[in-house]
Amino acid sequence: MIYFDNAATTAPIEAALKKYLDVSSFAYGNPQSRHFFGREADKILEEARKSMLLDLGFKDNHNLLFCSGATESNNLAIKGTALKYKNRGNKIITSAGEHPSVLKTLDELAEIEGFDIVKLPLLANGCVSLEALKDAIDQKTILVSIMAVNNEVGAINDLKAIKEIMTPYRKALLHVDATQAVGKASLPFFLADLISFSGHKFGALKGCGALIYRKNIQFVPVNSGGAQESGNRAGTVNVAGAAAMSLALSIATKSMKKNLETVKEIRDYLLNELRQIEGVSVNSNPSCLPYVLSISLTNKKASVVVESLSRKGICVSTVSACSSKESAKSYVLEAMGVDKHCYLNPIRLSFSPKSTMEEAKTFVEEFRKSLEEVISL
Amino acid sequence: MSDNYLMVHYGELGTKGENKKAFINQLYRNLTHRLKGFSSLSFQKTRDRIYVRLNDEIPGDVIPVIQEVSGIQKISLVEKAGKSIEEIREKALSLIKNEEGKTFKAEIHRADKTFPLSSYDAACSIGDYILDHTDKVVDVHTPDIVVSVDIREEGSFIYAHSYPGAGGYPLGMNGKALMLLSGGIDSPVASYLLLRRGVRIECIHFAAPPYTSDAVLDKLKDIIARLGDFQADIKLHVVPFTKLQEAIYQHVEEPYCITIMRRMMVRIAEKVAKNCNCLAIATGESIGQVASQTLVSMRTINDVTNFPIIRPCATLDKIDIIAISKKIGTYETSIRPYEDCCTIFAPKKPKTKPKISECEYFESSFDWKPLLEESIEQINDVVFHNGVEISSIKEEGEKQ
Repeated sequence: MIYFDNAATTAPIEAALKKYLDVSSFAYGNPQSRHFFGREADKILEEARKSMLLDLGFKDNHNLLFCSGATESNNLAIKGTALKYKNRGNKIITSAGEHPSVLKTLDELAEIEGFDIVKLPLLANGCVSLEALKDAIDQKTILVSIMAVNNEVGAINDLKAIKEIMTPYRKALLHVDATQAVGKASLPFFLADLISFSGHKFGALKGCGALIYRKNIQFVPVNSGGAQESGNRAGTVNVAGAAAMSLALSIATKSMKKNLETVKEIRDYLLNELRQIEGVSVNSNPSCLPYVLSISLTNKKASVVVESLSRKGICVSTVSACSSKESAKSYVLEAMGVDKHCYLNPIRLSFSPKSTMEEAKTFVEEFRKSLEEVISL
Repeated sequence: MSDNYLMVHYGELGTKGENKKAFINQLYRNLTHRLKGFSSLSFQKTRDRIYVRLNDEIPGDVIPVIQEVSGIQKISLVEKAGKSIEEIREKALSLIKNEEGKTFKAEIHRADKTFPLSSYDAACSIGDYILDHTDKVVDVHTPDIVVSVDIREEGSFIYAHSYPGAGGYPLGMNGKALMLLSGGIDSPVASYLLLRRGVRIECIHFAAPPYTSDAVLDKLKDIIARLGDFQADIKLHVVPFTKLQEAIYQHVEEPYCITIMRRMMVRIAEKVAKNCNCLAIATGESIGQVASQTLVSMRTINDVTNFPIIRPCATLDKIDIIAISKKIGTYETSIRPYEDCCTIFAPKKPKTKPKISECEYFESSFDWKPLLEESIEQINDVVFHNGVEISSIKEEGEKQ
């Protein structure tokens, strides 16, 4: 099997699995419990918290909250602060290329709470238009939510430039969905007020994620109940998952540079090979984070080719296998301005440090064959 | 233990002359099979009704299950009483008090001819008693409530409330049809309507990987699992259709592709139907719903076979089909978004009035017969029992 769908989820690394099993077996106490066993679990949890903040370059002014993943983290970051600070203003700025857990959450806020949501356009390279941000931001803006790395094409947004534009607008918080960046790229996350991510994108387990937030920020909780996670996220914390995620992050951080080189070599090879194939148009450019490579088919149906590859044991993704032509489209590619057939027929390859050149070569071969076998519709 | 019964009233079968016994036996088998999860029920079969004695079971649990069994007109919740007119009147009164409505009539079936009162006298006696003790009035023509009393040797059975049954015929009475199952909304509904009419089904599906996703097969399995409530054993014939489909696309002008494709499907279905003793082919088509389902299209597609093609949804609106699909629980599965042969190969401008002569012309332009034979040879059969897949066998050109 060739697994090039790591942006959807990675295989958990062995060390993380072992950690999960160890903590679950030997320190399964509830960190809220007062007895020694609970305190033991609490200690593991706090170590994980500290280690992750450190690995991501945060100093004392941020806190980390464990949750179930990026979707929950995005929901809490956006709903939690928008509702808390709605008296400061009603404008929220985001981009057209965000993940549905950001866009749909904002749509809900617009509908239920009457927030004014501005969706910034994307540039042809997949980055958010900073000019548009300059035009849109004003004193009514309470939140800017922009992803660090786009999940479909790998475009990296310039957090420093965004922060600079925001500086005069002191009421506006910056939320960064860093799901495709954490553990993969060393970006200045500390510039943001709120940072969301999932563990299963860098070798930890599914169901584990985090929200990092500046300590002075308050939330209207999305989950109400117990006082866990400083009262911001009720529910017993997944201690074993947190410990495994912290370990996976520290491993990823240590080998980040080397991993990036491995993945870049593969991406560059594929980018170069695929762009020479007739009927293929490449959407990601060399400046994108090399973990993701987006291409489009110019005269065949992507869902058919993906299915054909799947039957050969090669896993890549299209946007979705929807039958309805409208919903199968990539709204990210559409926002980047690629032509219609291309945004209706995207294929995303995404890599992990475990991906090999061998696999990349086999992929090119099989991909060519699939393209030939499948007739145009 | 209460002395409550459910009385199962036969559907149209009640009017069938010589076949009546077979009908009742089949219904009895189907009903007891469907209710075998309720261990304390006991059954009694008579010429006019089946009595289900509830014993410890709760009527609200049992009735919905019976409502799914075809061949039943209605189900009444019945209380048993002794055979004195006083006792019968008392029971009738207590039942009618729970019913909404202003007008009523009493109906007596006097199966036990030794009962001292005539049907008319008994009805008058019960009616008088209810008039005296409630504010309801008699209307013998269009009553809101009918209080029915069956007087039988073993006692009297009294009921005022009935639940609609599924109607139709007991499954298995009307032969077997081969159902073209795509995975969409319509074909599971058509399957249900056939089953309701007493027709057993086998299913045939045309798979064209990689154009269609293997996930469609999982979807079909879930649909068949739901249909398993109506027919315990269902066989699914999966036809590999890719090569034939590609050939059609390469040789036929696009507006005619879907028509030719449907003609090929019918040709294959006919052969399979013959092999597995199906008397008809059935589809989920609804007149005019899409280009390939206009009457002209149906006529042109139908031309390749002399098997009857039954289209139970033919005259239903989409909204009605969806309602049935929700009722039988296949809707949520049907709308899972995977391409099937009919959606992915749908031409941009399909022909709404395809001509038979044009089809014949296109079909003469390429050698499809070997491809069709190959498809049939490579059919894969999957057998389901009570919705669970029990085997998958390669059928190497089964001949009978």
